[in-house]
Order: sequence, then C-alpha cells, then structure tokens
Amino acid sequence: MLFRPGALVAATMLFGLPASAEEIVRISGWGGSEVAIVNGLLTNVLAEKLAEEGIRVKYEPVDGDYSQFIINGLSAGTAPDLFYVDTFWARSVFSAGQAAPVTNDVSGFAANLLTAFTYDGKLYSTPKDFNTLAIHFNKDIFDDAGVGYPSDDDTWTTLQEKLVAVNKSLPEVDGLCVVPEYARFGAFALSTGWSPFDARGKTVLDKRFRRAFDFYTGLVKSGAAVMAADAGHSWTGGCLASERAAVAIEGAWILSALRDSAPNMNLGTVRMPKDPESSKRGNIVFSVGWTVNAASKVSKAAAKVAELLTTEEAQQWVLEQGLALPSRTSLNDNPWLRGGQPEQIASRVVLEGLSDDHVMPYFFGDVGGSWMQPINAALNSVILGEEDANTALLSAQSAFDRMLAK
Amino acid sequence: MLFFAYAIVRTAYYSFTDFDLFKAPSFVGMSNYTALVSDELFLLALRNTIGFSLIVTTTQTVLALGLAVLVNHAVRARGLIRTVFYLPSIMSSAAMTLIFLWLFQRNGFMTAIASVVLAYRQHILLFLVGMAALQGALVLNARRSYEGISIFDPFFLLVAAVGALALAASCALAGLLSVFDNNLLISWLNTQRHFLFMPVTLWSVALMNVFTTVPTLMLLFLAGLQSIPSSLYDAAEVDGANAFQRFRHITVPALRPVTFAVVTMGVIGTLQMFDQVAILGDAAPLASRVTLAYYVYENAFPAGASSRIGLASAAALVLGILTIAAVYVQKSVGVKEKGE
Repeated sequence: MLFRPGALVAATMLFGLPASAEEIVRISGWGGSEVAIVNGLLTNVLAEKLAEEGIRVKYEPVDGDYSQFIINGLSAGTAPDLFYVDTFWARSVFSAGQAAPVTNDVSGFAANLLTAFTYDGKLYSTPKDFNTLAIHFNKDIFDDAGVGYPSDDDTWTTLQEKLVAVNKSLPEVDGLCVVPEYARFGAFALSTGWSPFDARGKTVLDKRFRRAFDFYTGLVKSGAAVMAADAGHSWTGGCLASERAAVAIEGAWILSALRDSAPNMNLGTVRMPKDPESSKRGNIVFSVGWTVNAASKVSKAAAKVAELLTTEEAQQWVLEQGLALPSRTSLNDNPWLRGGQPEQIASRVVLEGLSDDHVMPYFFGDVGGSWMQPINAALNSVILGEEDANTALLSAQSAFDRMLAK
Repeated sequence: MLFFAYAIVRTAYYSFTDFDLFKAPSFVGMSNYTALVSDELFLLALRNTIGFSLIVTTTQTVLALGLAVLVNHAVRARGLIRTVFYLPSIMSSAAMTLIFLWLFQRNGFMTAIASVVLAYRQHILLFLVGMAALQGALVLNARRSYEGISIFDPFFLLVAAVGALALAASCALAGLLSVFDNNLLISWLNTQRHFLFMPVTLWSVALMNVFTTVPTLMLLFLAGLQSIPSSLYDAAEVDGANAFQRFRHITVPALRPVTFAVVTMGVIGTLQMFDQVAILGDAAPLASRVTLAYYVYENAFPAGASSRIGLASAAALVLGILTIAAVYVQKSVGVKEKGE
C-alpha cells in the first residue's frame, strides 16, 4: 500500500486530530492526599496550558517506599520523566547524575529552598512546596482545662507548664504525644544554637544539645507528655486527632489528616516555642521538588510541566485548597494566608517557620537517614527509662564518632 | 537454575566492587568484606540472625510435631481441628505483623495478660496447687480400684479444675488472697533490652513467626504421620511398648524425611527473615531488630543516601553461605533425608 501524505492531512482535518503528535510526559509523586493535589492541578488549572504546549501528562502516583521506586526506576531506565525528590534523599539522585539541571526561571522561589536542592553549584529541582513544624492545639481542651492557649511567645518552660496543667485538670488527656525522633526533637536542639554538623563536619552532642535532650525526654516524667506509642499512635497528630493529647508538633500536613478524622476540631496553631536561654526558635524544613529525569527523551517537555506545576497560579490554587505551602515568596502576602480560618492560620504559621532563628533542612549529607539513628536510640532509651541521659548520650556520641570517621 | 546462577555470579562480582547502581562498578578487592567484619551493625545482625534462627527453628519444629501428633490422635472433628490450627498461616505476614504490633504495645494485650497474672498471682498459684493435689488424690484413689488410670486422665482433670477453681474462689471471697496493684508498661518491641542472647524485640518477633509458621509445618508432619503403617504401632503395643516408647522408636525415625524438610525450610526461612522486621520499622530500634536480610536491604536502599550495592552484595553472599552451611550442619548432625 502506498503512503499518501495528503490522505493523512485530510483525515486530520476531517476528524479534528492535531497535525503534530502530542508529547507524553510521565510524572510521578507519592500517593495519599498528593493524588488529589496533582490531579486537581492537572485538570482544574493546567489542562488548557498543557494542551497549548502539546503535552499530555501521564500521572503515576506511588504508594509505599517512593524513594526506592525512583532509585530502582532510575537504575533500570524506567523512571518517569518528571518526579518528586525530597531534600532528605535528593543528593543520592543528584550526585549520581540522574537529574537534569533546572532550566526555567527560579527567581521567585524562597532562597533557602533553592539551596536545599542545589548540588555542586547547580539547581536540580524546582521547589514544589515545603513544610516546617508548628504547635497545633485543640482549643476546646484548653478551655475545658481552664488553661491558657499556647502562644507565639511561649518558651519551652511555659509551654511545658501549660501541658502539665492540662493533664492535671483533665487526667484522661495528655498535653502532648512525644515521638523519640530527631524529626520532632531536632527543632528544640536547633533552637539552642546547636548544629547537626560542626565546622569540621563532625557531630558533637555538646551542652546545648544536652539541654534540649533533657527537656524533651523530661516531658514524659513531668506529666506534660506521653509516648505516642503508649497512646496507641505513631505520630503526634494521631493523638491530637483522637483528642488523646491537647497539642501536636507537626507541619501543615496535619490539616488533611484532621480534615478526615477530626473535621470539627477547634484548631489553633502557634509557632514553635523558644529556648528559654537563647530566646531563639529552631525549626526543620521538609521540602520536595520537581526533578527532570536526565535520561528522559522528552526532557524539555518535562521541564515545561515542572514549570507549569509551580507557577504562581498553580501554587495559588494549591494554597487555597489548604493542601500545601507555596515555595514562591510572592505568595507569602497572599490574602488567603491572612484569613482567620484555622487552616489559614496554620498555613501562615508554618510559612513563618521558614524564617525562624535556626532553621535547617531535613537533610544529613552523604550519611543519609542513618545519621538520626544514634539520637533516636538515645531519646527512646531515656524516655523509656532504660538508660540515663549520660549513658545514652555517651553511646550516641561514640556512634557518631564511628560513623563520621568513615 | 539459570536465573539462580546469573544472580549468584552477578552478586559475587558486585561484592568485589564499589557500586551505587549508577556509576560503573569499580573493583575494590576484599574491602567490602573487611568493611563487613569491622561494621558493628553487621556483627549485630549476624548474631541476631543466628540466635533467631536457632530459637525459631527449634521451637516451631517441636511445636509442629507435637500439634500434628495431637491432631492425628483426635478422633472427632479432626478436619475442624486441623482447619482451626491451620488458620493463622493463611494470613499474610504483613497483616499478622500489624496485628502483633497492636498486641505488643506497651499498654497492649500482652501487657494486660502479664498484668492480670501478676495481680492475681496468689489466686493462680492456689488454683494450680489445688488442681495438682486434687488430680493426684483422684488418680491415687481410682488406682486402688482400677489399673491403668493415667495421671492425666481427662475426666479427673476436669473435676480437679472445677474443684481448684471453687477453692480459689472461696478463698478470694473469704478475703484470704490479695490482689496486687501494678501499673505495668512492658516494652515488647520498642526497647533495647536483651533477654539471654537476643534483643527482647526479636524474641517478640520470634513468637510472632512461630505462631504463623507452625500450622504449615504441622500439616507436613500430619501427612507424614498418616503414612506410618498402624501395624507398626500395634506390634509395638503387643510387645509392651508404652506411648513414649512408640513415639521415640517408631514415629520419630519414620518422620525423619519430613523433619529434614521442616528443619531445612525453617533454617532457610529464619535466616532470611526480613518482612516482619521491615514492617516493624521505627516501632523498634534498628539494633534490636536488625537481621542479615534487613542489613542487606538497608545497604542496598539506605534512607537518604546512595546505594551501597557492593557492601549489600557481600552481606548477601555471607547470608547465602551461612544458609547453605546451616542446612549442611543440620543434615550432618542427625536429621536425615531418609526414613528408617
């Protein structure tokens, strides 16, 4: 059979098909509430623009171990064209040469988020959104207990006093659920001015660290808190949602969980408490960026999709859904963020956390997540009463010395 | 065989290289193996794995055999009993682990049982002593009239249990027994404590593992038991052999091929135990739950760091060699492939 170009053009005109073929961009992110965000963006905000660009997006959300899925996919050559990279494991992708440098204009993004995604002087991810830690609390519990709400002016000590008072007044409610993890404790350690790595790249558990450690592990003994596991929960937000605890230390991700499990909660959110000695606040930044697969055959189209997914318009939509915090600084003054609804206040407080005194990304260099294990083990054993702080921190320091000597 | 050989050769090759899944592997000689020997976590994983394997393989083999004998002797509703005992093994290990996670919480079901036992220890002790005394008295009395009454006679056991329960209840009502207050919070999983040679966490995982594997192994023993000719037992009974002697000299030797299969499967399964400790995740400290298979995974996919495929491959080979050695040792110390 002869090929007749004229027939193809005629068929295209007749059936309304585009003359040029669409480029298909496979994108991937994690499952859960993220599916609603990305699907919403693609269908409600970006559908027309994507069509104009001749791009069709094939979205593949992943439930389970997302980083493992991406690493496997990259090594096997089956990874999507555009995917999330968390600051926590970004370096393993960047250093392996699996990410294409960002090509679009990123001048409007928060500077410290760009730093988190920069490797070897090049930016490899467009920051999608971010989170910091904040104090979320149930106002009704504090009202019932006759205790003043947590406030932005709280220090560790005043917050602890309020939590103890809640538990004394309402014995069935604990002030806070603590988890023996750096992901929450770290904010307290950082507020003292302690840094995870010193100038020589070593981890030193000094007096400042010890002060934060004693405070955090002492919360249970003082009656201000209970171990989350003992309350039947794996995170502090679970305790807040079930009204087992008055307070949770989480990021804005708690909002979607509360929307599902405690939609009528009278929620309040304030900033992390200050260290009473340094009068400074510490915080941890959790961030994710869109990254173009260096081996993608449609890398230009993938970069365009990343750009569209993080435009001001797209981030405005995500923000107004109360789903995530924008990484563009121009949205910091967004009218939605100045609103008085609990979700608006919580988002504003989490946004303000980015400018706390001592803020560090949730990232531990080449060591990765193993870095947290000595601290987590020490927190766990002291909170459980299996070891005293001296013994636990001595073991943790030895573990760091061995780990960072390699 | 082709896939197996390919995987082995490739793993052996990577174990002599520095490889992160992306850059080309570079030859590093024996350094991955020397790194393993000097890595405390690897040595811990090795110790935990061997301890776990010994405990679980022994316990599950003995329990499976005992349960199979029990089910084989059941006259009525044998099918139902077999089904009931087999039920735990049809659940996925992920689901079972999540259930056990709930049971093993510090203030969960297991702690509640321990708490009740401690609180009512006087009642329990009196019940046990009373039951033993009553059973003894009933059996001795019966033996004066009839021969061959077993010390475990089921009817007398039932009567003794009811009598002992009445005794304990009477003493409790009379205020002669104390109930001890306790506010127990036992860390079954989230702990760094050790019991004997193994972390408490792994003892709890061992219990979970035994619970799920015994039913399947029981079925294997049951099939083996039903293939033993009853004429052997009849002849032994005529010769005056008691129940234990029949078990020792007929059942055990005849079941050797099944025992070999059961122990081999047990050794392989326990040495490569991964899913239950992986699901535990942050619910338990790493040092308390790390096994060799998990160590391999942790190095192949370290959280937030580049893959260490060379080290993971070296550890995987050590695990493979250990498994082959364990199977060979258990075969050479008396568990034979052929029956007698």
